[in-house]
Amino acid sequence: MGLEQFKNRNVGTQEYKVLDLQESPKTPMAKFAQVAKRTFKGELFVGLGVTVREMINALFRGQMHTVKYPLEKLPISPRYRAIHEMLRLLESGHYRCIGCGLCEKICISNCITMETRYDENQRKEVSEYTINFGRCIFCGYCAEVCPELAIVHGPRYETASEQRASFSLFEDMLTPIDKLSLQQEYDGFGAVSPNADENIKKTPLAY
Amino acid sequence: MSIHNSLGLGKEITVTINGKECKSTFGKTILEIARENGIYIPTMCYLTKTQPIGSCRMCLVNVEGVEGAILSCQEKATDGAVVMTQTPELYRERQNIMKLYNVNHPLECGVCDQSGECDLQNKTLEFDVGDQPFTARDQHRPVENWGHVSYDPALCIMCEKCVRVSTEITGDEALQLKFGGYSSTIVNVKKEKNYASLGEAAAVCPVGALVDTDFKYRTNAWELSKIPSSCSHCGGGCQIDYEVKRDTIYRVSNHAEFSTLCGAGRYGFDYANEGVSKERESFEKAVDAVRNAQSIVFAPQISNEEAMILQKIKEKQGTKLICHEARAYQKFMQAYGSITGKNLYGGTLKKISESRGVIVFGTRINNDAPNVKYHINMASKWHRARVAYLHPMRDEEMKNIVTQFMQYAPGSEEAVAAQLVLALVGKTEEMPQNVASLLETLDPEALAAQSGISSEEIALLQNSLIKKQGFSLVAGSDLYAHPRAENIAKLLALLERYAGFNVVCVPPAGNAMGVSLICDLDDEVEGTSVGYNAKGDFTLSALGDGDLDMPAMNQQEGTLVSNDKRLVPMHVAKSYSGYLLNDIANALGLEAEYTIEYTAALPEAQGFKAEAFDDLPDYFDITGKEHRGYLLDEVSVPVDQRIESVERTGKMGPVVYHCNPVEQFSPFTAKCAAITGEAQLVGSAAFAEERGLSDGQKVSFEIDGVTFNRVFKIDTSMSGNIALNPSYDMGLSAALISSYRFKSIDFSATKNEEVGS
Repeated sequence: MGLEQFKNRNVGTQEYKVLDLQESPKTPMAKFAQVAKRTFKGELFVGLGVTVREMINALFRGQMHTVKYPLEKLPISPRYRAIHEMLRLLESGHYRCIGCGLCEKICISNCITMETRYDENQRKEVSEYTINFGRCIFCGYCAEVCPELAIVHGPRYETASEQRASFSLFEDMLTPIDKLSLQQEYDGFGAVSPNADENIKKTPLAY
Repeated sequence: MSIHNSLGLGKEITVTINGKECKSTFGKTILEIARENGIYIPTMCYLTKTQPIGSCRMCLVNVEGVEGAILSCQEKATDGAVVMTQTPELYRERQNIMKLYNVNHPLECGVCDQSGECDLQNKTLEFDVGDQPFTARDQHRPVENWGHVSYDPALCIMCEKCVRVSTEITGDEALQLKFGGYSSTIVNVKKEKNYASLGEAAAVCPVGALVDTDFKYRTNAWELSKIPSSCSHCGGGCQIDYEVKRDTIYRVSNHAEFSTLCGAGRYGFDYANEGVSKERESFEKAVDAVRNAQSIVFAPQISNEEAMILQKIKEKQGTKLICHEARAYQKFMQAYGSITGKNLYGGTLKKISESRGVIVFGTRINNDAPNVKYHINMASKWHRARVAYLHPMRDEEMKNIVTQFMQYAPGSEEAVAAQLVLALVGKTEEMPQNVASLLETLDPEALAAQSGISSEEIALLQNSLIKKQGFSLVAGSDLYAHPRAENIAKLLALLERYAGFNVVCVPPAGNAMGVSLICDLDDEVEGTSVGYNAKGDFTLSALGDGDLDMPAMNQQEGTLVSNDKRLVPMHVAKSYSGYLLNDIANALGLEAEYTIEYTAALPEAQGFKAEAFDDLPDYFDITGKEHRGYLLDEVSVPVDQRIESVERTGKMGPVVYHCNPVEQFSPFTAKCAAITGEAQLVGSAAFAEERGLSDGQKVSFEIDGVTFNRVFKIDTSMSGNIALNPSYDMGLSAALISSYRFKSIDFSATKNEEVGS
């Protein structure tokens, strides 16, 4: 597109509409008369009426249009990628992470660090797990690669904090054990496909 | 050669594999020839360094004119054979084998240590096995912890590699197969001994069934970067890879397909001199100390380049260089060379493994040099070699290899050497007059009386070697500090020169061989001294307790000389931010930016080559040939065939033998967490009785000015009138011990001191 129409500053030849503005009052008396006329015309109460109507609708008829933000939050798409969460197994309450290290490997900004060890129950225990949120770009690869749906992107998008470390430890991301019943299954990145059941091949059990 | 010729071994043949003409020699298997020519045949159980196992049947090939498929790992190729390695039938066959390997194999690669370097994983994907079509009733198979390694039978695919390695290579013979169809497992029949050499079995395990216990679940294989290096503990210079993540060494691995590593090499990696900073003040003191020192005492745990730096300092300011063990070895080898005319011994480790008879003399070889013991074991297992073990005490760990133990009296090594010469060296034309007449004048009976080895035993040894050929002699560090070391060296050299023995004079621990070739060493400390990893008036130490810190071996670049006469490179596995010996040398006026600039300057007169460090190769090729560093050239030295007659020695009575336990070599291995053990004076019951000691008694004694405070323990499995005294726990003092390894010590002054409750 050319810039001709912007460069043409000859107002008169273009299709502008000129508003039919009244003459501005000239004398002080005429000015006062205009102000008084506009003030006491009653238009003010039309506007106030709308406000009062909506207030009554919101307060008494349950038609509130805003949320009380810090106390209330709007629902967010499951595909939104905010601060990670570590989920637990619903049955046992044990964390799902098996320490396979795939998230650490796939992380393109190299912000995931984990240490694992052989624990007393002969399991692979995650002894350290941190995400450097100063580097994380919230790409979602870690959630996608996780074979256990253990690491997911939660809806917690408020990332202002006194220090980044506030988010980055395993314990902070893990579902609190007393809130286990509130843990939501994750639908976003890396979730099992809706037709997953059809795709499952069973290991033969001949015996 | 005559045996080879009669069987047609070594004859030139031509084999056609997949249409490619491959020239080779008769005696090689189809698989070997294919690999030499870069043709891929899949295998699961094949291990180049052992005999073919033949348990996996993946290496099936078709040979024209032969019905059915044959195993290429076992079948020797014949001239003119036409081999096909890839056909649709073979692919199906191999795919079915992989399906069977996957029966009930847990699909938990996410938590398996082998994941990422697993043969089963690789081959399952290679043969496109996408599911587990077969199954069997599974059994309860608990994980077993064997100490250094853990065994998970549920993951085991029964390839037998570990059993073969433990039997044929390391010779601990701890692992056995328990047959039982689907319930077959590997069993450890010597669990109580916790062999660190089982680390080698874990290294060859293609799946996660055998893993290092300490490494288990600590990290994933793909996260570790491998840093090639060489082990500096025993003088074997074995190939190792430090596996490192975030400046932490997680484990040590090796090219287990071709080379072998003992427990010390595999588990003794975690000591490094950490948290060191550049302290200008101490450094300046160190420079002054070296400038003003009249002697530099050092431990043989040192790289060739550092030894070269010390030699340069000596050349510059006339400082005496003292390294006791290396000095004794140097003198021994000089005397040895005066008979053979070469600066190095003629033997190689490979030849030991090919011998039909091996004589081990003057060394507790399993403790002193495990890699040499492994080669003796190979000879025993592959060629049923007769192994004679000549030492004042039997070694229970060698029982399964040794065919004849011959115990001699401590101190009588010279007589024993003369007995060996009399028995095994025939008179030849080329022998000079004085040697021939010496052989005549030696009286076998007098020698037998002196050594305690009877003429019958010698005759037995002689008879066992009749009709065989290819013999090896392994001589060790008991001989080097012997008062008559030089004459012993000359006697043994006769075996190499006139009886065709493959002689290996195993150097003492550390890089003693390199030091003995590079440095012009002196005998005694004089005046003020600087110690390098040894106690001196001013001490440079990598052990963390000196006046100036130095890097440990895994924190520096350099080269070592292995007991296979090879110069091998070491690389930096862990960061170090303090001063190096090179910095001190530069402050004294030498000029080299990096320590490794001295690699190309190592003395060519001693067989080194003028090759720069960065040009040194470090790999094994597909056929297993070693390309690490280079082999030292043999250098001719003047021949002077003067040998003295055997001197009479008195009986020593009960003696203390300076010997470190298995897997311990130096203060550096002592600092490694995975190699544990308590340093004690361990003696036989006879020794305890004769010396009036009781079990658990505290004793204190002095050897070469080093005071040992030990708890005495009786070991009933020990024979002879001997106690073993280790030195690995002595820190900076360990390098000061210089005398003959057997010592008669009087405990009477201290024996009343009982252990407090």
